[in-house]
Amino acid sequence: MEAVIGLEIHAHLLTESKLFCRCSTNLDNKKPNENTCPICLGFPGSKPMVNKSALDHGILIALALNCNVAPEIMFSRKSYFYPDMPKNFQITQYENPLAESGYIILGEKRIRIRRVHLEEDPAKLIHVGGGITSSRYNLIDYNRAGMPLVEIVTEPDIKDTKEARIFLEKLSVILDHLGVYEPTTEGALRVDANISLEGGQRVEVKNITGFRNVEKALNYEVVRQKSMSNMGLDVSRETRHFDAETGSTSSLRKKEYEDDYGYIDEPDLVRIQVDEPWIQQIRDRMPELPDSRIERFVEQYGISRLQARIIVNTGLQMSRFFEESCRLYHDPKIVANWLVTFLLKSLNYEGITLKESKVKPETFVELLKLIDEGTISERTAKELIKDYTLTGKSPRRLVEEKKLGLLSENELIPVIMDILNENRKAVQDYQDGRKKVVDYLIGQVLRRVKARATVEKVRILIVQILESMPR
Amino acid sequence: MNLQEKAQRIDEKYRAFNFISDQLEGGHGRLEGYVVTVKDNICVKGMRSSAGSKILENYSPPFDATVVSKARSEGAIILGKTTMDEFGFGTFNVNTQFNIPLNPHDLERSTGGSSGGAAVVTAVADFPHLAIAESTGGSISCPASFCGVVGITPTYGRTSRWGLIDYANSLDKVGCMGKNVKEAALMLSVISGPDEYDSTVIRSGTPNYLEYTNRTLEGFKVGVPREYFGEGIDTEVSDNVWRGIKKLESKGSDIEEVSMPFTKHSLSSYYIVAMAEASTNLAKLCGLRYGLELPLEENFDDYFSKVRTEGFGEEAKRRILLGTYTRMAGYRDAYYLKALKVRTRVIEDFKRVFKYVDVLAAPTMPIVAPRFDDISKLEPHQHYMMDILTAAPNLAGIPMVSVPCGEINGLPVGIHIMADHLQERKMLTAAANVEEI
Repeated sequence: MEAVIGLEIHAHLLTESKLFCRCSTNLDNKKPNENTCPICLGFPGSKPMVNKSALDHGILIALALNCNVAPEIMFSRKSYFYPDMPKNFQITQYENPLAESGYIILGEKRIRIRRVHLEEDPAKLIHVGGGITSSRYNLIDYNRAGMPLVEIVTEPDIKDTKEARIFLEKLSVILDHLGVYEPTTEGALRVDANISLEGGQRVEVKNITGFRNVEKALNYEVVRQKSMSNMGLDVSRETRHFDAETGSTSSLRKKEYEDDYGYIDEPDLVRIQVDEPWIQQIRDRMPELPDSRIERFVEQYGISRLQARIIVNTGLQMSRFFEESCRLYHDPKIVANWLVTFLLKSLNYEGITLKESKVKPETFVELLKLIDEGTISERTAKELIKDYTLTGKSPRRLVEEKKLGLLSENELIPVIMDILNENRKAVQDYQDGRKKVVDYLIGQVLRRVKARATVEKVRILIVQILESMPR
Repeated sequence: MNLQEKAQRIDEKYRAFNFISDQLEGGHGRLEGYVVTVKDNICVKGMRSSAGSKILENYSPPFDATVVSKARSEGAIILGKTTMDEFGFGTFNVNTQFNIPLNPHDLERSTGGSSGGAAVVTAVADFPHLAIAESTGGSISCPASFCGVVGITPTYGRTSRWGLIDYANSLDKVGCMGKNVKEAALMLSVISGPDEYDSTVIRSGTPNYLEYTNRTLEGFKVGVPREYFGEGIDTEVSDNVWRGIKKLESKGSDIEEVSMPFTKHSLSSYYIVAMAEASTNLAKLCGLRYGLELPLEENFDDYFSKVRTEGFGEEAKRRILLGTYTRMAGYRDAYYLKALKVRTRVIEDFKRVFKYVDVLAAPTMPIVAPRFDDISKLEPHQHYMMDILTAAPNLAGIPMVSVPCGEINGLPVGIHIMADHLQERKMLTAAANVEEI
């Protein structure tokens, strides 16, 4: 059974101030309800004013998603009563969204974008002592109220949960490249997912945060809807809530066929004409997008397409890290290799993003240079990555602190002598002409010195010593 | 008697105030020496601003409306808040849970509404006084006409709405009243102009309107719209207005009858748009952040309902219900969206006429101030019918001024001078020429 999936994605736009007032969008170190004013609190007598840079961001996104931008921007009031809404209506866009009819290319396929529009975020509800239905009471934090959101709605072109995740990753990377969104902020992407199986009714799962949760929620729904239809039960049209802790969805409300929000034009805001010079100005600002960046990396740096894709899709920060490292180091292939195979893996393993970590291109390249100089072995470098990822300290300093540098000949020779004394049988074998036994002895030495020597160096020394031994 | 006592005396006799300030300081500027009263739906920092509604009984705004700051910066003394129909919902100022103001020409008659208090104080003040008022569908013209003062409703967007407690945002216009055209024109000059807190304000600068009250009518063309003198208009009122029109003619203007066929649809269009917007504006008054505070029981839906049931008056509830209905799926096309289309046609009507006339002249109200006992016999839709002459210009957002032009048994009659968008200058020239001084 094929699934039919459509997504509605909400992302906070990275602007200086909120969508309709001058409050900051930076909530770091803000106490609850500190980041508010009469406008975002909806005081009687207050009026909204549109933040022009949010419109610019919106148009940039629309162009990057290959949409047609509307000739005129207008806002609407979406009315419903809910405690997170200061005015009990949300200023959003309804009949005439900012942009329509775009697409994102996923491999051979196009996922069509139905519309892109701007709207204000409501306040944040904190359910105390339980979940949405079981909490003892709720606290309201209006710091988030009025934050600019872009809503991107796809056509139901997504066929399974994996495709949904890939789509979201791609969308996130595009938004990241546009510099209009902060991918690491808590809840930066909130998704409502519509999913139905062939012949079944459409179910909407609301307010899923994070890609992994989208995949989980959709998987849960596929299984649930399949088993219902296997049992001969009808899947009814409804809105469901996703519980991130249990990974399951539960019915929030059975719904009438169409939500009735009683939209009217927002009468406090004038219509804004979007002329060609404005669009051109935004188009001129369009940065390199992920797909062309991948191609450029392959061409310019000679790295594999797979590596390029991994680097670019990890995010703008990673791409910049890569390019900066290439500027500081002679061989991009080695950079890509170490970046993808070791650093990225280590970051993922520790569960931190590049931005959260303290690693820098300068120090990363230092690690590669330590290998080239013969200060440490590759194996030591690989072991060092974990500490480096967590601390961001200069690898040279780490090598000194942990005494991980390669041993000198004078230090190595006594160790080799010990190993030879302990392995008389092997020494005898060598002298009997079974030269391959050297490899075994090298292994023993390297283990003893914890990789603080290269194979080549140890081999030379062992052979010298063995050859000079009396028979 | 000091100013505060004078205000209290006016309030005792005519019930014109919702709040009287004890901070009565003025400054220097164009309004030096003037006392300004502010309609209750316009925010004054620290003064209770309830918009005539019990549900906002204790709202003390933390900011001044832009028009109030402008008046202050020109030296005005801000005396207090004047009574009004709840949120502006009415034509006779009887729809309020606070005091109902009384007409100074006959205490058993209405002042008109919704800016009733503003008109009363303007009529009776024995000190230099100007009123800041507001009109959505005729709320300045009507009480100005009934109380015999000059009431200006400017072009939509000429004055800032920042600080106005919204009735219907696409229709609301802050305006002013004065004893005569000159004073009202002075006030308009002060309160007009750009504002970075209201995006619907016109960005161009403001002329000094006072200059235009001294001009002659040479070469002026006055249009008399046929539809404004028909059925339902008191003939004595028409006669008085015609006298005013003749006066304009005697002072050098040409008079021409014009026709605006969409006039008859303007009232229904006006009420649909106004109520649709009003029903969304009032949604925030649910007891969570704004509105009454009642004991918290059951879930939020029940709580909101309880607060709104208790806090809103009858007319507010009626308009919320009707307004919500007109924008619901299935009705939205037939009512809300259709009303917007009609609105465009009404504007086109005016635009066409103003190609060849400078101003329009008509009765402001179809009747003189009615008695309270007659008002109580009217059905809601008969109340709405009273706006038949003011709905169209308000819907179109054109400027208008009501000027006293005669009396019937001691009750004032107002002539309505209307002009094209941003043509307040022409409107005021005509108004000054028709005025009896």
